Amino acid sequence: MSSAVQMAGAFVGGGLALGGGAVGAAIGDGIAGGATIEGVARQPEAQSRLFSIFFLTVGLVEAMYFINLAFMALFVFVLAKP
Amino acid sequence: MSTPTPLAVKDIGGEIGHHITVTIGGFVFNIDTIWSTALAGAIVVGLGLFLRARVTSGVPSRLQLIWENVVDQVRSQVEEQIGPTAPFVVPLAIALFMFILIANWIELVPTMEKFPSPTADVNVTFALALVVIVWMHVISIRRKGVKGYFKHYAQPYKLLLPINVIEEIAKPITLALRLFGNIFSGSIMIILIGLFPTFLVPWPNAAWKLFDMFIGVIQAFIFALLTILYFSSAVETEASH
Repeated sequence: MSSAVQMAGAFVGGGLALGGGAVGAAIGDGIAGGATIEGVARQPEAQSRLFSIFFLTVGLVEAMYFINLAFMALFVFVLAKP
Repeated sequence: MSTPTPLAVKDIGGEIGHHITVTIGGFVFNIDTIWSTALAGAIVVGLGLFLRARVTSGVPSRLQLIWENVVDQVRSQVEEQIGPTAPFVVPLAIALFMFILIANWIELVPTMEKFPSPTADVNVTFALALVVIVWMHVISIRRKGVKGYFKHYAQPYKLLLPINVIEEIAKPITLALRLFGNIFSGSIMIILIGLFPTFLVPWPNAAWKLFDMFIGVIQAFIFALLTILYFSSAVETEASH
C-alpha cells in the first residue's frame, strides 16, 4: 500500500473515530442530564443523590469517547507513516 | 519560539506520547512515568503522615476536614453497596482515589515534559486496573467457592453466559482505557494550546487546565466508585439476594 493512501486512510479513520465518539458521547450526556433535571424537578431533596449518579453516568459515557480518542491517537501518530 | 509560523503536526508528533526511556536488560522502562508515580505516591503518603501527626479531636484543621470528608463519603458508599462484609474495600478505594487524583493533577504543573502525569501512560492505568480486577476475582472465588464463582457467569439466565464473559473481559480494559484516555487527551490539549501564538496562550491554557482539574477529580471518583461496585458484585452470595 502506498504511503500516501496509508496516511490518508489513517487520518480519515482517526477523524471518523473522533466524530462518531463525540456524537455518541454528546447524546448520552444529554439524555443523562435530562433525566437528572426531571428527577430533581420531581423531588428536589434527592438532588445530591441524583448528582452523584449523574456524574457516574457522565464518566462512563465520556469513557467511550476517550477510548475512541485513544484509538485516534493510535491511528494518527503511529499508523500514519509520513 | 520567535518564528510566527505555526508548528506542523509532524513537529509535535514526536512529542505527544513521547517518554524518556531507560533500557535495562532488554526491557524498556518509561523512566519519566516511574519518577512521576514515585512523586505522586510520595505526596499521598506525605499528606497522610502529615495528617497523622496533626490529628486532633479538638478543632480540626482544613486538611483533616478534607480527609475526613473523603473517608466518610467512601465509607458510606461501601456500606450502601456492599454492607459490612468487606471492610477492606474502604482503604483500597480511598488509596485509589487519592493516588489517582494527585497523579491526574501532576501534569498541570508545567515542567518542560519532565514530569508527565503517570496516568497518561497506559502502563500505569492497566496496572491499576489489573490489581483491582485480579483482587476482585480472588475475593469472588474465596467468598463463593470455585463452583459458585463459575456458576455466577450463568446467572440469571444461561443464555447470558457469553455476555457475562465478555463483560468480565471488558471490565479491566474499559477501566484502564477510560482513565488513560481522559488524562492523555488532557496532556495533548495542553501541548496543542502551547502551539498558539504566545500572546493568545494564557486564557485557553487557564480554562483548559481548570477543566482538566475537574476531569481529574471525576475520573478518580469514577475509578474508586467502580472499584467499590465491582467488589460489591464479587462478594454478594446467594444469601444476600
